[in-house]
Amino acid sequence: MNDMRLVERDVEQVQGKIEARGVQVHYGEKHALKDVDVTILDRTVTAFIGPSGCGKSTFLRCLNRMNDTVASARVEGRITLDGQDIHDPRIDPVQLRAKVGMVFQKPNPFPKSIYDNVAYGPRIHGLARGKAELDAIVETSLRKAALWTEVKDRLEAPGTGLSGGQQQRLCIARAIATSPEVLLMDEPCSALDPIATAQVEELIDELRAQFSVVIVTHSMQQAARVSQKTAFFHLGSLVEYGETGQIFTNPTDPRTEAYITGRIG
Amino acid sequence: MKEPHILSAFDRDLEAVQAHVLRMGGLVEQALLDAAEALETRDEALAVRVQEGDRAIDALEETINAECARLLALRAPTAGDLRVVLSVMRIAAALERSGDYAKNLAKRSRVLANMSPLGGTSSSIQRMARTVVLRLKEALDAYIGHEVAVAEDIRARDREVDQMYNSLFRELLTHMMEDPRNIGAAMHLHFIAKNIERVGDHATSIAEQVIYLATGEMPGEERPKAEMLPVSDVLGPDAVGGR
Repeated sequence: MNDMRLVERDVEQVQGKIEARGVQVHYGEKHALKDVDVTILDRTVTAFIGPSGCGKSTFLRCLNRMNDTVASARVEGRITLDGQDIHDPRIDPVQLRAKVGMVFQKPNPFPKSIYDNVAYGPRIHGLARGKAELDAIVETSLRKAALWTEVKDRLEAPGTGLSGGQQQRLCIARAIATSPEVLLMDEPCSALDPIATAQVEELIDELRAQFSVVIVTHSMQQAARVSQKTAFFHLGSLVEYGETGQIFTNPTDPRTEAYITGRIG
Repeated sequence: MKEPHILSAFDRDLEAVQAHVLRMGGLVEQALLDAAEALETRDEALAVRVQEGDRAIDALEETINAECARLLALRAPTAGDLRVVLSVMRIAAALERSGDYAKNLAKRSRVLANMSPLGGTSSSIQRMARTVVLRLKEALDAYIGHEVAVAEDIRARDREVDQMYNSLFRELLTHMMEDPRNIGAAMHLHFIAKNIERVGDHATSIAEQVIYLATGEMPGEERPKAEMLPVSDVLGPDAVGGR
């Protein structure tokens, strides 16, 4: 039967990359995330969907301890990356974020040259010995982000001068320059036109060969297009987590069905 | 039933294609009943009307397919909505085939109108047609109500139609053996019976779509079947041995 299926969509990975158990998040009085258990697979694109305020971005931000920077946020529960607790006091959050990279909704290149944007991470983490090695990292990252051919002749031009879609791919290049193991993307295409969106989606599909990608998206069709696993969040709870094809053709939970078919917001 | 979509035009589109299928079902049911009636009463004018009416059924199927294609392209339906679209297309195909069988029945009834009747076979066929039409109606009703239990029951009862076909088969063989001049009419009647039996199979496949629509899974193959009659059972071993 295997050859009859859409091979691209097979989730062959069974190895967990990130394990979250009993994760709770409070913002002050607000209980934003309730007891979330999930295993994010290695080399797989996982989409988080759900209405605004459902907790999906909050959970995404737990995965690289971005909530540490929010004063009112309180995170409980256990999250492990390759078996290691990310809240372990010996873990340096900056090192963690080098391993678990992030791309945001709006492209936010540094007000520096294209080259320096990508070289920034490897420089501060001391990943390159010498200029030649740094050049190589910048080129590979820009190539992986499908931006190299467009910018190779103007690497010293400011990153902010690029188009929106190019800026977002520059941010992706910047995020992957530190060779992360997991890439978190919080609505990476919401500010992009359809062509730039398609380019980023193609890129996500290619990145899956090396990284575990977690993407938060409001576009159900985008989740259906790029992911192998989909998690549906509603009112702070993880309602359903499963293979993307199953979620979009025959979801188990009536709330998932109501959401993906456009019946509840 | 489900709560409405936030985008109400989506609901209107889904309801429209389903309404078309039900209208198509109504036309097919009437065509089958009329064709069987034309056969029984030797009403050639009625038979002609059935033959001509098939165009409307075919046109409805085309409309349904075009609208489903639009729905898939423009609304990108998922989950239960996707299954509505897929099941509507499959049911429309089953109904279109059933309509063709009604048309064929009407055509053969016009030939048979000019031949001497074979006992009570045409009324047996009418009975069989009524049973099948009832089955079709039940399947479409189950579709409207997403009634899985009713659909399972329809699947289980397909054997009744198979048995009616088998007994007609026996009856027709007997007529042919009694007098070879009956063979022409009996062959036509046999094709008619076989086609009605196939409509029964389509009713079953519609019932299966009800199950798919409601559960997301196609039922398994464990449907009971009437056994095929070996010819020797009907004719006796001597007859098969050859005279």
